[in-house]
Amino acid sequence: MSDKNPLRDVFDAIADPTRRRLIRLLAEVDEIPLHELTEQFPMGRTAVSKHLTILKEAGLVAGRKVGRETRYRLNASPLREVQDWVAHYSKFWNENLRRLSRLLEEEQR
Amino acid sequence: MSLSLTLDFEYETSIDKLWSALTDSSKLAKWIANIHTGKPMENNFEPVVGHRFQFRTEPSQYWDGIIDGEVLVVEAPNRVSYTWASGDEKHTVTWTLQDLGDGKVNLHLEQTGFSNVHGLEGARYGWTKWCGELEKALAA
Repeated sequence: MSDKNPLRDVFDAIADPTRRRLIRLLAEVDEIPLHELTEQFPMGRTAVSKHLTILKEAGLVAGRKVGRETRYRLNASPLREVQDWVAHYSKFWNENLRRLSRLLEEEQR
Repeated sequence: MSLSLTLDFEYETSIDKLWSALTDSSKLAKWIANIHTGKPMENNFEPVVGHRFQFRTEPSQYWDGIIDGEVLVVEAPNRVSYTWASGDEKHTVTWTLQDLGDGKVNLHLEQTGFSNVHGLEGARYGWTKWCGELEKALAA
């Protein structure tokens, strides 16, 4: 889990295709202003901004004001939680399948 | 990483023995264990489509120690598939056995349905496609 104790669950944040697309776009750049992000979507800046707020609440996105515009950048670290979640099952089966291997070896004898 | 988990193992055994290890309740109890305690999990599995079963271990701080499942597919000795649910997560586990000859059998595990939880229902396509992107994002 992120150290900052985010307001929103990371799984919630990535449940929406628009937000996943935003993460994808943000992953390709260091920083991007809202109007450039908005150009990529068939929706207005208010709608895009709402999605960014949700990503911010999950600690996935940070914004900073530069003059009159806000620039956004990705903070990917909360995504580790998603990765760990799958890794748990992977570990469960890997360890148990090794046990199965020993069991089958014993049977061979 | 992937959000549909797949693993391949190769065993030196016969396909029938491997099938039995995967579908016989007493044999399953010998290798499916709670990896934190190392203790085997009790089960009442039966390779019968529609059969509902449980795997049980001691409850912990994080979960009640129960995995609930229902058998979906039984094609002896090549394929068995069941649901695998614990807590609020419900996945599908599918085992595919392939005889490689020379006393070797390949075992393929696929665990899917990670997209069904946390409100991701119906987004499976986008989710799977997004997997590679997630890796990219983590590497950035």
